Amino acid sequence: MNATPDRIQDAVRRVREAHEFVLESRRTEAIIKALADAAQSWLPASSPWRAQAVEQAPAVTGSSPAMVNEVIDRMFGAITAESLGALLDREFGDRRVLDEFRPHGRAQARAFGVPVILHLLAGNVPPPGIHSILNGLLVRSGNVVRMSQRDTVFPKLFVESVRAADPDLAMCVELLEWPRTDAALTQAALAKADAVIAHGDDSTIATLRRLAPGNATFIGYGQKVSFAYVCREAMTAEQLPALATAAAEDVSVYDQQGCLSPHVIYVEERGALGPRKFAAALAEAMGAFQARIPRGKLSVEEAAVVNTTRSGYEFRSASDKRIAVWASAQPNDWTVIYEDNPAFEPSCLNRVVFVKPTDSERRVLDGIQRFAARISTVGVAPMSERMMELAKQLAKLGIHRVCPLGQMQRPPLWWFHDGRPNLASLVRWTELG
Amino acid sequence: MKTALQLQQRIVAFIGGARDDFEALALEVFAFQFAHNHAYRAFCERKERTPDRVAHWTEIPAVPASAFKQLALTCFPPDDAIVEFRTSGTTQACSGRHLFKTLELYDAAITPNFNAHLFPDGAQMPLLSLVPDDPHSSLAYMIRKLGARCVERLEPVNVPVCVLGTAFNFLKLFDEGISLQLPSGSRAMETGGFKGRTREVTKPELYEMFEMHLGIPPTHVVNEYGMTELSTQFYDETMRVGHCSDVKHAPPWARVRVIDPQTDEEAQPGVPGLFRIYDLANLWSVMCLQTEDLGVREGDGFVLFGRAPGAMPRGCSLKVEALSEERRRPGGFTADSDRRGGGVPAPMT
Repeated sequence: MNATPDRIQDAVRRVREAHEFVLESRRTEAIIKALADAAQSWLPASSPWRAQAVEQAPAVTGSSPAMVNEVIDRMFGAITAESLGALLDREFGDRRVLDEFRPHGRAQARAFGVPVILHLLAGNVPPPGIHSILNGLLVRSGNVVRMSQRDTVFPKLFVESVRAADPDLAMCVELLEWPRTDAALTQAALAKADAVIAHGDDSTIATLRRLAPGNATFIGYGQKVSFAYVCREAMTAEQLPALATAAAEDVSVYDQQGCLSPHVIYVEERGALGPRKFAAALAEAMGAFQARIPRGKLSVEEAAVVNTTRSGYEFRSASDKRIAVWASAQPNDWTVIYEDNPAFEPSCLNRVVFVKPTDSERRVLDGIQRFAARISTVGVAPMSERMMELAKQLAKLGIHRVCPLGQMQRPPLWWFHDGRPNLASLVRWTELG
Repeated sequence: MKTALQLQQRIVAFIGGARDDFEALALEVFAFQFAHNHAYRAFCERKERTPDRVAHWTEIPAVPASAFKQLALTCFPPDDAIVEFRTSGTTQACSGRHLFKTLELYDAAITPNFNAHLFPDGAQMPLLSLVPDDPHSSLAYMIRKLGARCVERLEPVNVPVCVLGTAFNFLKLFDEGISLQLPSGSRAMETGGFKGRTREVTKPELYEMFEMHLGIPPTHVVNEYGMTELSTQFYDETMRVGHCSDVKHAPPWARVRVIDPQTDEEAQPGVPGLFRIYDLANLWSVMCLQTEDLGVREGDGFVLFGRAPGAMPRGCSLKVEALSEERRRPGGFTADSDRRGGGVPAPMT
């Protein structure tokens, strides 16, 4: 529904009332159960939510139906009673602090979700938005959600699936749509928020941060990129196919639209097999992934950028031995660009990935230094002792997550999204004693 | 090089109005460039499109504009260059270079095309330019060659004048509050966008300002589209048809095809695509250029939309420019864009 200032006011009032009601009437275990039931209800092949998402999302997001199914399996498969409980326990030490006063040193303390959270979603990939809403519900806040025009399907259907599990809890979410550029409506929504979770490009976040009320908690998730690192020990004929499949998945899932999507895969030289072999195997795996889960539709602008990127490297590869290109027969489906140049190269997205040889971690660390603040995740293979050392260096640069290759797109529910806790900022505490 | 010089003379004559056959000339130019441009030759061989296999001009392999950033792409030793025009980028590594060993073709292509689109009525008037001179700017060179006088500001005049500048030059003038009523018949050529500028205006808004601030009606403002990598410019047909029009036509020695980036084939009429430009005046570099500019075919002409964005409309991942300070476009126009034209980017949704 298109928002107006009045509708935003009404939405805020309704979620505030629902928050008060749920605060009194629900215990954390009941919330966990409702949310887990909602998520699990997406998983069967016969799930009505799945059917609706597969029917509706491709038209809105351009994703292929197979990709929508994959997203559902990954996203909702990871939301279980166990993982939700673990998230709460990890962030609060004790999930029951949301229900009652619990021991806190010599005193006691209880956490209360803030009354109203404003979520401003980005819509490039579904999980951040769904997790944002999920987190708000876990702490029993009221949630006003501005959906992105690019993804209204998943938030709507998710809230409906929560409603089926616990109608009162679902009352704590109001979904609205308004153009990102409508500053007056954004301002109206911000004015009533106790906490703001904003997803989007850096300039949008900077603007929202300025506009948000001074006493509101502001959490901004800006633009990030990711890369991968393959050690020479892993470059054997036995391991290569599995390695390439893992990398192709990390690149291709969400059509590389997410912050966790790798843009570059660095491969160490002097393994049993060389980095070019990795690029060739990756190309094959990209093709296999495309056959299983086709890339989404591209706008003409997106297709133009992929096309010009690919043809630019193809041209150079003809006369420059440091460059090689593996490209799908069908234009723009996927492209693997091998380039002997350690500089981090952001991809134009939509399944265009760079493979770069490196002689050491040091060269890569130097190559990424300039972008370190923008890097979310580094996928490595294998997670060896030596990689633990690399992880320490990456941590120093401020990189948020180091994980096994193939797991880049599967952060656990309790991961520190962009290096911060997910729930802790959404509550205020009362101490007793 | 005797044949090359003969080829050059034939193209100069063609540009000058002599009858000739574009398609046959294109194949000859291709054969010449294949023989003398090493990077291009390697690419054509890789694509298995060599002169003995290419029967039609549309089969000639296109060179991506970005290749000018890494390669000299000349049909002569780069050291023999007498002029170097540069595209965007603050460092040598990311700015494109177009090298010339002679400007004979470049010079030949400037004036007839400019006059045909700015003065189809045969009018003669002084040319005034707002573009600062710059030895590496192809736009500044073209303006110099047209014989325009560089001015810092416009003063009231008694005779009609033709004012040349980038959209940004004009916008700056309008923002400063200039208020003139230039004599009837005066006209303007605007080019280039204003990416990264403090504000953007739409083309109709900009053209209204021409009328408000200079007294030049929108029917007398012509948008030019040129690229550092080319030797020929393209203009809106406005003055030729007597009403505002975004349609541009290639002159006889150039052709523009619209390529659907989804299929790599010629776009269907009305379907946007990337311009692939064939410019015989680019004899000494590469004739067939794959641009990054989007537009549509319109009758036997074309309409420019704007540069394919360096960043995606979707995706939380970063824009290339945002990631890398080094790539950010610098302040001055001359290095502002690989291409100029389109005036104001049209919305592409």
